[in-house]
Amino acid sequence: MTAKLSDNIVSPLGFSTAENVSAVLAGRTGVKTWEGAFGIHEPFGASLFNREEVLEKALGEGISGYTFFDTVALLSATRAIRESGIDPSSPDTVFILSSIKGNIDRLESDPGAVPLWASAAKIAGRFNNPNTPIVVSNACISGLCALIHATRTLLSGRFRNAVVVGCEVQSRFIVSGFQSLKAVSAGPCKPFDAERCGLNNGEAAATMVISSQGPDYAWKFGAGAVRNDANHISGPSRTGEGSYNCLRSVLNHCTREELALISVHGTSTRYNDEMESIALSRAGLSEIPVCALKGCFGHTMGAAGILETLVTMGALERGIIPATKGYSTPGTSYPVNVSPFNRTTGKKAFIKLLSGFGGCNAAMLFRKGGES
Amino acid sequence: MEELIKNLKLQVIDALNLEGMTPDDIDNDAPLFGDGGLGLDSIDVLELIVLLERNYGIKLSNPAQGKAVFASIATMAAYIAENRKK
Amino acid sequence: MRIARWCRITPSSVVVDGKAVSVEGTGSLLLKDLYRKFIGDYPKFFKMDTLCRLGVAGAALLDSPGEPREDRAVLIFSASGPLCNDTHYQKTISEEDYFPSPSLFVYTLANIVTGEISIRNHWKGDTSAFVIPGFDAGEIVASTLSCLADPVTRSAICGWAECSGDDSFDLLMVLAARDEGGLPFDAETLDYLYGRTYQEP
Repeated sequence: MTAKLSDNIVSPLGFSTAENVSAVLAGRTGVKTWEGAFGIHEPFGASLFNREEVLEKALGEGISGYTFFDTVALLSATRAIRESGIDPSSPDTVFILSSIKGNIDRLESDPGAVPLWASAAKIAGRFNNPNTPIVVSNACISGLCALIHATRTLLSGRFRNAVVVGCEVQSRFIVSGFQSLKAVSAGPCKPFDAERCGLNNGEAAATMVISSQGPDYAWKFGAGAVRNDANHISGPSRTGEGSYNCLRSVLNHCTREELALISVHGTSTRYNDEMESIALSRAGLSEIPVCALKGCFGHTMGAAGILETLVTMGALERGIIPATKGYSTPGTSYPVNVSPFNRTTGKKAFIKLLSGFGGCNAAMLFRKGGES
Repeated sequence: MEELIKNLKLQVIDALNLEGMTPDDIDNDAPLFGDGGLGLDSIDVLELIVLLERNYGIKLSNPAQGKAVFASIATMAAYIAENRKK
Repeated sequence: MRIARWCRITPSSVVVDGKAVSVEGTGSLLLKDLYRKFIGDYPKFFKMDTLCRLGVAGAALLDSPGEPREDRAVLIFSASGPLCNDTHYQKTISEEDYFPSPSLFVYTLANIVTGEISIRNHWKGDTSAFVIPGFDAGEIVASTLSCLADPVTRSAICGWAECSGDDSFDLLMVLAARDEGGLPFDAETLDYLYGRTYQEP
């Protein structure tokens, strides 16, 4: 069974997974209101990097001369790989990048940097990896799809280890687009709250090094499923179809009783959170605690699946179900077991759930092995 | 008003990529959304909001307000005539 | 897995299961002609960017919309993803003329083509978009086969859909199924099919 060997998160809340988990459990957020950033006049809520700080940290790792996107991704990958002990230059190791828009901010100044494979090649190339890296670009579910793809690839025996990097940096291109869809909140987002009015954009990179064999105590990757709503390219299904089908598939591999929580998408748009409440209810999961982390990180898009999975793992290792920051009053048609406070648990399994444009949805089961 | 309606139809056809349609194919009072009309969807509404702002200087910040304004070409034209800034 | 059906579309030729399909026009006009001949009643087609039109036209050559099904995956590989449409959207956010277009923005995601194919055909299965440096039969076959780890998936529409301009695109799409029959679904066969473009004499 595939297992996580090591990990890293680089976000406005910190430069390691532990720092990010502590920040979340302490109730901190990277989100604030920006006016005029990227030359956009309409205010937007976002969790954005202090770019100088990131470049300085990267320089400390010898990373320089890359685009900002590539730098953030490399910083996270470098730290996770070092901790893993794997040989990244081995033909047994494959690199998988998860991103939606990569270097899109260079579209006019440096178009050669924009194709996502070019970023993946830079990342794998820095570690002298001989294999062609693959990019999973599946809208907001990319990160989870990358983990599912990695798991399937390792199970097939093609490779022994996978370095899965999810990364997104924000830009005039992305923020203006989400604003044109009336999906962005100027203030902090409020997942599942009655007053929720849109998402916050977020920046982050998150990396997992995964192996076909890992120590007993490691987090194990269970079943994963991807399902399309086949309904609309930007609006979630009114029946939660794809998310429900994903959950139904994953629930064949675990009991409801062993689940500490569902780490949900919770973008804080009216339609997404409503859709998730329907899908959870249809899957008989209304009683299971849920948590949404976008109140702390914003919507980190291609990084979200990996980042939110890592934060959930880190919190469960400390016996805590993280609070859903921004939530206070129920605001969905179907009940959801969401809380503005941290809760305790002894359970060590969860499902990560995501949905995205193009009607796609993904769910994956994670279980921690015995004590180290 | 007739001139405004004709221009508006051309702009809507162009903005929403209504392939093969001419202004004469769109009835002034036919519903733009749902069955029996042009069958436009939620992204089309947002595109029509951009059209109003770009061509007529009208800012429609609340998409919910759009329901009444975008009921038909006639309601759109009436709203534009009353609120246009350019 | 075996290849039940396959198609190849370039700006000047269309081949289905090894036979040339007669089409009028080249580039974007060729895609419109495919719409007229093989789709016909789906005006949403004209709201799509070129990558989605290419993918939806390809899928229409291989199968017709039927009852909703969860066992059909849609996996699209490309080098440029939605880059062609990205440049169209970028024009709507210039300093001088800032009116971001929502209908262009939604097509700036690499996987929308998989969604459009699923929507038209009522396929509720696995959908994924992958970006790789160039056509790579080995990667397409290996990634598609690994999707069979999901026991629900019985067949897949998969292949290469590259779009570098509204008149410049390249598609090899196959319908691969767990059932018996058809060409072998392997890298050698895919490489061979990729070379099968039909040129007008």
